[in-house]
Amino acid sequence: MLDQSIQELESRSLARIASATTLEELEAVRVDSLGRKGPLAQAGKEMGKLPPEDRARIGKLLNSARQNLEQALEAKKRGLDSGSLNARLEAEWLDVTLPAPGPRRGHLHPITRIQRELEDLFASLGFAVLDGPEVETEYYNFDALNIPADHPARDMQDTFWLDGGNLLRTHTSPVQVRGMERLGPPLRMIAPGRVFRNESVDASHEHTFYQLEGMMIDRDVSVAHLLYFMKTLLAAIFHRDVTVRLRPGYFPFVEPGFELDIQCLICGGSGCPVCKQSGWVELLPCGLVNPNVLRMSGIDPGEWNGFAFGLGLTRLVMMRYAIDDIRYLQGGDLRFLEQF
Amino acid sequence: MKFSYNWIREFVPTLHEAPGPLERLITMKTAECEGVEPVGELLSGACVARVESVEPIANSHNARAVVDAGLHGFKTVVCGAPNCRPGMLTAWAPIGKKVINGVESDGMLASPAELGINKDHSGIIELKAGAPGDPLPRCAPDAVIEIDNKSITHRPDLWGHFGVAREVAAILGLKLRDAVDLSLIPSAPPAIGIQIEDFSLCPRYSALVFENVSIGPSPYWLQARLTAIGLNPINNIVDMTNFVMAELAQPMHAFDADLLNGGTIFIRPARFGEAFRALNDQNYTLDASNLVIADAAGPIALGGVIGGAHSAIGAKTTRVVLESANFQASSIRKTSAAIKLRTDASIRFEKAQDPANTVRGLARAVELLREISPGIRIVGGLADQKKEMPAPPPIALRHDWLERKLGRSISPGEVRRILESLEFRFDEPQARVYSVSVPSWRSTKDVSIPDDLVEEVGRMVGYDSITPVAPLVPAAVPPANPTRKFQHEVRAVFVDQGFTEVYNYSFLSEESVRAFGFDPAAHLRVSNPIASDQALMRASLLPGIWKNVTENAKHREAFRLFEIGLEIHKTASGLPDEISHLVAALYERHGDGAAGLYELKRAAECLMPGAEARPAAARPFEHPARSGELVWRGQAAGRIFEFHPSLVESGRAAILDLDLRQVESLSALRTKYAPIRRYPSSAFDLSVVCPLREHAGNLQTAIASLSGPLLESIQFVRQYSGPPLDEGQKSVSFRVTLGSPERTLSSEEAGDIRTRIIEGMRSLGYELRL
Repeated sequence: MLDQSIQELESRSLARIASATTLEELEAVRVDSLGRKGPLAQAGKEMGKLPPEDRARIGKLLNSARQNLEQALEAKKRGLDSGSLNARLEAEWLDVTLPAPGPRRGHLHPITRIQRELEDLFASLGFAVLDGPEVETEYYNFDALNIPADHPARDMQDTFWLDGGNLLRTHTSPVQVRGMERLGPPLRMIAPGRVFRNESVDASHEHTFYQLEGMMIDRDVSVAHLLYFMKTLLAAIFHRDVTVRLRPGYFPFVEPGFELDIQCLICGGSGCPVCKQSGWVELLPCGLVNPNVLRMSGIDPGEWNGFAFGLGLTRLVMMRYAIDDIRYLQGGDLRFLEQF
Repeated sequence: MKFSYNWIREFVPTLHEAPGPLERLITMKTAECEGVEPVGELLSGACVARVESVEPIANSHNARAVVDAGLHGFKTVVCGAPNCRPGMLTAWAPIGKKVINGVESDGMLASPAELGINKDHSGIIELKAGAPGDPLPRCAPDAVIEIDNKSITHRPDLWGHFGVAREVAAILGLKLRDAVDLSLIPSAPPAIGIQIEDFSLCPRYSALVFENVSIGPSPYWLQARLTAIGLNPINNIVDMTNFVMAELAQPMHAFDADLLNGGTIFIRPARFGEAFRALNDQNYTLDASNLVIADAAGPIALGGVIGGAHSAIGAKTTRVVLESANFQASSIRKTSAAIKLRTDASIRFEKAQDPANTVRGLARAVELLREISPGIRIVGGLADQKKEMPAPPPIALRHDWLERKLGRSISPGEVRRILESLEFRFDEPQARVYSVSVPSWRSTKDVSIPDDLVEEVGRMVGYDSITPVAPLVPAAVPPANPTRKFQHEVRAVFVDQGFTEVYNYSFLSEESVRAFGFDPAAHLRVSNPIASDQALMRASLLPGIWKNVTENAKHREAFRLFEIGLEIHKTASGLPDEISHLVAALYERHGDGAAGLYELKRAAECLMPGAEARPAAARPFEHPARSGELVWRGQAAGRIFEFHPSLVESGRAAILDLDLRQVESLSALRTKYAPIRRYPSSAFDLSVVCPLREHAGNLQTAIASLSGPLLESIQFVRQYSGPPLDEGQKSVSFRVTLGSPERTLSSEEAGDIRTRIIEGMRSLGYELRL
């Protein structure tokens, strides 16, 4: 008799669970069937009164009914939960194609970008990044670089002179001198920065542009070392192997002095308008540091020597981005600057 | 500087390298060439021709000429030259047949200009001699190689063809023929006196006197040479001086001897205020820094720069004093810069020419004059004054040092061969230690130390023969550059906040400086500005940014931009103070500008967390009611403001101007760690009623100081104006958070502080909404 009523309770409750549509209804079923005062609990309490031969069987029956109901309740509850969650989620539809509010990210100037790239590159090779003033003395800009007054090499760079006798640096080379004075040998340094030349502005000429000066002072620095560094650097700058050549070039602060050409990256050396059909593009002046320059900066050329080079940062930027008008770089036009 | 291939080949007769490959070799071994141009192409196949007949062509300026072109036969040519007449000898060039004015014209009769001989295009060339069919005497098609002047600044010898020929011979291992025969100078007492006052300014002055000179045009071959390299033929004497200059790099000058006063030439500094009329018909007033060549009456030439008008060679000249001198490079450069006159002579002298070259120049002149001024006679012998110039001591060159410098090995024989091919004298007093004597034309300025010889050997052996080698140096962390790192971080912050970086020029116009109310006189001034509106060095980035705002507002409704650059401030002496600044602009065409200003302030706070803006008196370019000073960590760091509406036509621009040097030094302050508080804090809100224009920052400061040491933080919550508040009043709410690191505050403690604040604020005259 007890067996039957347990089974009936179980099947009735399971049916109610199945038909419940709300969490409240489900809770009512749970209280009715599994509650502390419910029939199953009641039956459990009365187990003691049963004859010993029935106890094990009824006990088993009760446990199985409880387990089945608990499982059914849990399963149903999960079903009801996810249903209401789904309804909420459905209501929370967003148009993800709408643009995000707030300002867009700004843009670094292309010169800054390339300059940073080069700074990182040189730093990784153990070069210090140095700065010097934009207004320089005649001494640092010329004399200390082996370009005394009335030296015709001064004509190579049209200089902006300032009232009071100072000048706007015509190259970043004075930072070499300041670097040698401040840090002494051995020295590996670069100096990117703004330089000035008194020339009229057109699509390919600027009175204000950027250079990157580099120098290495150590013992027994040779042309072969210079070549190695230049090749390594240029490969990193252009993200490919480059063929370079040195030819004689005259700069009073180096001896011997070179012009470094790279094989034209456009035509690969077969000749095109960019390289004026020569297959080569003049890229940077360099050389072994003139012993007079070392001496003037307090370095004994008998013990130390080195190489120096000057990279046209502005020119490199123009090459990298194929910019055909130098005036854009200092024109402040966002339509240009936002492309970088 | 232009160089004629044919001219070079005169000194390197076995030269077979074509002009193109030769140009590339010179570029790789000596100096940068800028290209090869053919000249006188028409001379290829041109020959002497006699005009047989000339008949007019109806309705045309042209005539039908028949010429005898020797072995080419008789040719009918349509010719428009006014001087075309039967019987004349001219040049015929085979350029093919063409019908002109209905007449078949075979070839052409050419003008001197067309043949590349001179600029004369007024008629066809007139030849004095020659048989029809003969080639034009010593005139041939040529190629001109242009060498970049900058790349031979240090090489006085390369300003003449002979010097380049010497390089060519050395590069190709060919024999060099000397251009000069010194035996042409007669040994006799000089016919003119020379008196040099200062040998340091004029180390050597040599001269020869000639008589029975005839003035006329130079032979065509000589004219063609000068024309090819860009010089204008004038007359035989002047052309000869230019020719020797272009050949030997020795400038010369010819005086009309009959126009000189006295028998002595003085080389002396000009007297103060001395007047001089030059060949270019300009008058110069000289001073003692100018070296003059003078006769008894006064200056006859500005030494090394230009000759005088009075003693110039003219059609009637019959006696000539030919000067071949040497001047101090820096003095020539100074004079030429001072009077703003650069001549072919001064350009050469300022490269430090070789004093040994003066007499060589005269010897070459004698040879040329005999040909181009038939009957000319030398009067007396060489006049030559010079200071003793001992040859510089030989350079000691160690072979292993040379190899270490180049980074490759080289045989001693190769070093010797190279140096001797360039006419250095080579000795080897010890094994692998060389004693190298420098030739006079390389020792004036160019070669004096062993490093110079590294270049000579390196370039000739070829830099392409050197294999790149990684240097063996200790790995070392380079010294840091915190300023640069900081500035890159600042850039990153502003780019992240939507600002785009601009670069502006360092130059400003007086006008723009005044527009901002700055004093132009306080600015550092460029003595030689590129234009008058770029004469001042910027002492503020604001005018540049203002221009960016104005220009970009034409295309954009809203934008953000910034610049990091140097302000340059004049100092009493020494170098100016260069202060790095950041200026950022936030422009919006629409809106009342308030949101923009606060947004810019927020961006500033990204860089300087906790920075405050304090009300500050507006500068002329600032919106008078919208400007503040930014204070960070107790120090003024810059300003934030809106541009004065008079500066911005439509819309509004919020501007941030930060002294990055200051901000960087404040950034360097180390944050000190404090343990996370273990006891809960308690917070309450307070609303202060105050006049509309009361600064919330002032209220906050007041509340903070009333709060006492248990104040943890105080934050602005909101402000409100409108009913039920009175007109002209607002209510500003703050959240005050109190706490202690040691214990939990009791509600009485918190309540007491709150009461203290309320009463304190009341005593300051503020009402509180509770």
